[in-house]
Amino acid sequence: MDVPMPKSSRARRRSSSMVIAALLTGLATACGGSAISGEQPASQAAGGPATIGLVVPKSGVYAPLGADMENGFKLYLDQHGGKLGGKEIDLKVSDEGEGPQTGVPAATKLVTQDKAGAVVGIVNSATALGLRDTFIESKVPLIIANAGADDVTTSGGSPYIWRTSFTNNAVGASLGAEVAKQVGGEPVYLITADYAAGKEMVGGFKKAFEDAGGKVAGEAYTPFGTTKDFQPYLSKIKGTGAKAVFCFYAGAEAVGFVKQYDQFGLSGDLPLFGTGFVTEGAVLDAQGAAAVGTQTSLHYSDLIDSPKNKEFVTAYQAAFKEAPTVYAVQAYDAAAVLDAALAKAATTDGEAISKALAEIGAVDSPRGTWTFDAEHDPEQPYYLRKVEERSGAYVNALVSELAKG
Amino acid sequence: MQYAVTVLNGLALGAILFLIAVGLSLVFGIMDVLNLAHGAVYLVGAYVAVALIEGHASVAGFVAAVLVAALVGGLAGAALAGMSIPVRGHLDQALLTLGTALIITELISEFFGNEVRSVAPPPGLDASVGLFGQAYPAYRLALVVVGVVVAVGLHLLLERTRIGATLRATVADRQMVEAMGIRTRRLVISVFAAGAALAAVGGVLAGPVLGAQPGLDDTVLLLALVVVVIGGLGSVRGALLGAVLVGQVQALGVALLPDQASFLLFAAMAAVLLLRPAGLLPARGPAHA
Repeated sequence: MDVPMPKSSRARRRSSSMVIAALLTGLATACGGSAISGEQPASQAAGGPATIGLVVPKSGVYAPLGADMENGFKLYLDQHGGKLGGKEIDLKVSDEGEGPQTGVPAATKLVTQDKAGAVVGIVNSATALGLRDTFIESKVPLIIANAGADDVTTSGGSPYIWRTSFTNNAVGASLGAEVAKQVGGEPVYLITADYAAGKEMVGGFKKAFEDAGGKVAGEAYTPFGTTKDFQPYLSKIKGTGAKAVFCFYAGAEAVGFVKQYDQFGLSGDLPLFGTGFVTEGAVLDAQGAAAVGTQTSLHYSDLIDSPKNKEFVTAYQAAFKEAPTVYAVQAYDAAAVLDAALAKAATTDGEAISKALAEIGAVDSPRGTWTFDAEHDPEQPYYLRKVEERSGAYVNALVSELAKG
Repeated sequence: MQYAVTVLNGLALGAILFLIAVGLSLVFGIMDVLNLAHGAVYLVGAYVAVALIEGHASVAGFVAAVLVAALVGGLAGAALAGMSIPVRGHLDQALLTLGTALIITELISEFFGNEVRSVAPPPGLDASVGLFGQAYPAYRLALVVVGVVVAVGLHLLLERTRIGATLRATVADRQMVEAMGIRTRRLVISVFAAGAALAAVGGVLAGPVLGAQPGLDDTVLLLALVVVVIGGLGSVRGALLGAVLVGQVQALGVALLPDQASFLLFAAMAAVLLLRPAGLLPARGPAHA
């Protein structure tokens, strides 16, 4: 039998175990798994099919976005008989996971081991930033189909870094003049998660909004990923005399924020604006009635009334039994861009494809016609959308195309 | 008056945290087992609510979800107890329970997908009521009531019944209790099962506030561990005090010091560890008996 330990030291030993456990839990969440990337002799087939890598999250919090992107990319491939630019495609899909510690090795492996001629995908901006220099050095084009951090594309444009999605700054800025017009000189409160994407979107909005004569009532940056309860912030917004709110949240935080905005009685008095991700895809189903009336800006809505989009939505719905999201379109367009580039490229290696990417001109997309700008970011239309209930389901109804700022 | 609503809101969050943390605290106190699968059991409860309620709220559906979650949670707790009793050493226990947690959460995400899901509050509690001139969701008021009822119930069970006395004695000195001819094994498994059942019920009750999604288990487990560290191990009162404090740090603290919001929780934990390393209200051990 043990000699009973004095209570205080026993309790201290236990509580220190608890502290270690608390820290370990945090670490386990932060680290996730890490892939092992080893060098293996790879056989590069000359004159054979073009090897294209697709890196999207298949696990973790971004998995729903990854599924949409994979669907969009594969739909384009299927519609073109598995060929892009008339060349057979050997598609290698790999899991981006949640952050750079899984995403960077996954994409690097596609370049070093599988000798991909181009890599498409990347949801997480930190992963995109971590990959930028690798792709520039290996002279293989990286076509980013989501990650929106402003710094991913370089000023002047690298021949190897392209983006078919958006920049955080531009999505935010697109709504600035419209909100200034709607509130008519009344102050607007800005709130977002405290991380790069949130700050860039709110920063873009704030500049465009103030340039159009808007007044900011206050700003709040909530801890990213850990904020479950927005009541302290919502309570404060009311005290500032703001007459409307602009926000950016994604995923679970978007659901929590929009629902609580309604529950704590703000949605009745203060119109809610945001970038389109706040109400895009699966989060809108979870927000339900609380989201009705929210106005957002985005470069896509599945309700765009154009023949190209209707054809796309019909095909997407037939294949996957759900409406396409902006993420699906971004990947669909990445495939379209590659299709055009491979048709022009002499060979299927990275250098030839990146040279051809510069020559493809305008892209005719379900979102409208767009081109790559000088930084290789999309120069595209943005739309004002408003959440409405239509026959029991909630949709981002298209209000108008937003004027370019 | 702005802060009155915030304080109330902190109490609602505290009520959820109490339901989750009390099981973790008692299991560690009585068995010396650190159950890292506790968050996963919570998540099971949250997805029971998604499966049985989601958007179609009815009182019957809500009651059914609570009962099913209690049953599933209890069984999971008993199974976890059976697995961890032979395992000695905190590191081995952590590996066993963390591994179990990973398996449970991966199965959930295979079955339900990775989307964020939300749970509707039961009819009658789905509206907002006016409070101090602000709208406040009625469901959160109900949570405060539930938290108080469970806390009082557990307190009476532990302090006023024979089972409670045996349990407290087991926390204080398990060998002595066994030497007196009481079988602690059955008691230990029951406590584990009851703690897990409470966590799963917490998952259902928190559904309308926190929803359900993969990864929520980690967030909740971390908060529960902080509650246990602050409150002290193995005591219901400690878990209650810890939960209320963490709720207030997350609500009032954030309202008063929004710029320090990310650090407040761990600053509070560090302060408690410096001043009262055993937590604020740990179980009364032999030294005080």
